[in-house]
Amino acid sequence: MEIALLGNPNTGKTSLFNHLTGSYEYVGNWSGVTVEKKVGLFKNKRATLIDLPGIYTLNPLSKDEGVVTNYFLKEQLDQLLNILDASQLERNLHLTIQLLEYEKPLTIGLNMIDVAKNRGIHIDTNLLSHRLGVQVNPVIARSGKGCDALAESITTVKQCNTQKLLINYGKVIEDAIIELEEMLNGKQTPSIRWLTLQLLEGNPYVREYLHQWVKPEVLSNFVNGVSQQIISSEGIMTLEQFIYLKRKAVIQSILNDAVTYSEKEKTPFTEKVDKIVTNKFLGMPIFLLMMYLMFMLTFNWLGFPLSDALDSLISGPITEWTINLLTLVGATDFLYSLVVDGIIAGVGGVIVFVPQIFILFFFISLLEDSGYMARVALVMDRIMEHVGLNGKAFIPMMIGFGCNVPGIMAARTIETPKERLLTILLTPLMSCSARLPVYALFVGSFFVKQEALIVLSLYILGILVSLLLAKIFSKTLLSGETSLFVIELPPYRLPQGKALWRSTWDKGKNFVKKAGTFIFAGSVFIWLLSYAGPNGLNVNMDDSYLAAIGGVIAPLLQPIGFGSWQAGSALLTGFLAKEAIISTMNIIYFVPDEASLQGLLASTFTPLSAYSFMAFILLYIPCLATVATIYKETGSKKWTIFSCFYALIIAYVISLIIYHGGKLLGFT
Amino acid sequence: MLAQLKTGEKGIISNISKADALVRRRLLDLGITEGSEVCIKCIMPFGGPYMLEYCGQCVGIRRKEAIQIEVERL
Repeated sequence: MEIALLGNPNTGKTSLFNHLTGSYEYVGNWSGVTVEKKVGLFKNKRATLIDLPGIYTLNPLSKDEGVVTNYFLKEQLDQLLNILDASQLERNLHLTIQLLEYEKPLTIGLNMIDVAKNRGIHIDTNLLSHRLGVQVNPVIARSGKGCDALAESITTVKQCNTQKLLINYGKVIEDAIIELEEMLNGKQTPSIRWLTLQLLEGNPYVREYLHQWVKPEVLSNFVNGVSQQIISSEGIMTLEQFIYLKRKAVIQSILNDAVTYSEKEKTPFTEKVDKIVTNKFLGMPIFLLMMYLMFMLTFNWLGFPLSDALDSLISGPITEWTINLLTLVGATDFLYSLVVDGIIAGVGGVIVFVPQIFILFFFISLLEDSGYMARVALVMDRIMEHVGLNGKAFIPMMIGFGCNVPGIMAARTIETPKERLLTILLTPLMSCSARLPVYALFVGSFFVKQEALIVLSLYILGILVSLLLAKIFSKTLLSGETSLFVIELPPYRLPQGKALWRSTWDKGKNFVKKAGTFIFAGSVFIWLLSYAGPNGLNVNMDDSYLAAIGGVIAPLLQPIGFGSWQAGSALLTGFLAKEAIISTMNIIYFVPDEASLQGLLASTFTPLSAYSFMAFILLYIPCLATVATIYKETGSKKWTIFSCFYALIIAYVISLIIYHGGKLLGFT
Repeated sequence: MLAQLKTGEKGIISNISKADALVRRRLLDLGITEGSEVCIKCIMPFGGPYMLEYCGQCVGIRRKEAIQIEVERL
């Protein structure tokens, strides 16, 4: 049995999903469209739960919301679970009514009754359940209270299909429902009542869906006919408004019965915090301070010592044991070199950065879960507006600091196609965590005293370049479209340790998984290229295939300061995954650990060329996984290719400026 | 109009039809329409967005939209 989980954004859907399904889940694709869906198995193993994006209504504005409508049109779903925010019942019920019109069994999880109580809102769940004609289970998704009872009732109690008619929309619309039913003539469709109401509300996905049976002109005439009748008889401006008001009236009457209000607490916690963090003068400095703290903790104060410790563990005992083991079993030179110079150097070099990357992901999860992220969008909107974007575009970019792939996917919440495309194109310029190891390596050998400052400057460089390009692109390639910015600012919530860990792990596990698979295979391959050459096996590295390949592009890199075959081949592998640059360098320079690699690097790079190299790595091309995501999300080969080429050009230009500008200023 | 209210002031929306259609739809999704009582929570500097409160929920909109929304000050 498949149960779909639906609710408004910020109602605690993810918490509920986690509590109901335990730790088991997988991510699959929707049929037809390559958009991720999260599926979990109920703890009692009786049903699966599908997590859908948060929506206000089934009539979509953004791509994210369109996913839900498509699901309702095209998939066979057995049952619905609707989560409501008890403190915002009125607007939540607008969605519930649309779900009820879909005429499938529905259960309600009434969340945040504690928050509602603090605001002086008391809900009689029995009465609410009676008025809506469905089961209502009170839950507190954050703590998990009531979740077991909800799971029990939704998976075991027999749900019936027939629900009472909640709203009578009047003769004109009720007749229209019958008329559409005749037009469809017994076709296999979701509830006709639901289809008709969505069509009349102007839902573009439903209209498109109906075109497979009804001619566009006929459908237009039908909608216009109903619309004219309503407008002339009711004296209302639009049909959409009429339907909205009908629903609103019914919701009001339900609320009058089921909800009582008492004196509310003085100033809610959220308002106190907002007085400070979205303060006119303090908002921006506080945001910058937060970023600085996040950065210093990830990079300097906490992450660095941890990575160092892991590095000495891998280069010390682990390498030693492996060598002993290999000697014990009498491994050949080939195998010995493969394991020590290939795998340990390649994979180990990447694994070392796991602590830093997890710390970064932890902070990003903290920002998301606490509700601060939406404030960042508000604080940044004015700046983003100047470059043709809106504040919401800043969220994908922040997520992009962790990994560009989820960052690009987060752009789905942006309503206007132009701003969404622009955000997708520019998010790869955000310095993702896989680029961090490269900086760490280089600042460790060249900028020991200003480590954090140099890395921070690269992050800022990425942001500045993306803002500049946003301005240019929105004036040239993508001019014309309007911009939209309306953002809900959810109340602050103290993130729960377990949920926080789970979302950190969800993000970070890909990095670990990639190190075990992609980087592992890549390391073996790169090592093989460095071990073999035109003259046979075990050649001098400078005569290997790797040197030959890297040597081809080395002359191109000469003008920007690092024209060695080593840099050339590292950049080539960096397209597969940015952290592969580190693996490649570890293998090329024959060293098992970071410290000795840093010593070697000092002989081939100068501080200036090292900075130019880092800037180039930051900008030069999105990694393979990101390119694939850009293609999936834009559905356009043209924009995917564009995203690679503009990045390459801008990286070359910036590195050229850094290198030659730096030389003119007297840096070496 | 909404943009004339100061931080902490309240007003009832009297006409929202001049605002951008998409913005209007989004605000309606959040329950904000003609007759809604809103309170200005803060205004970001340099002509930045306005943060409104309606029934305990906070919403951010741009100044250029706030100019288009007519309110009666309370």
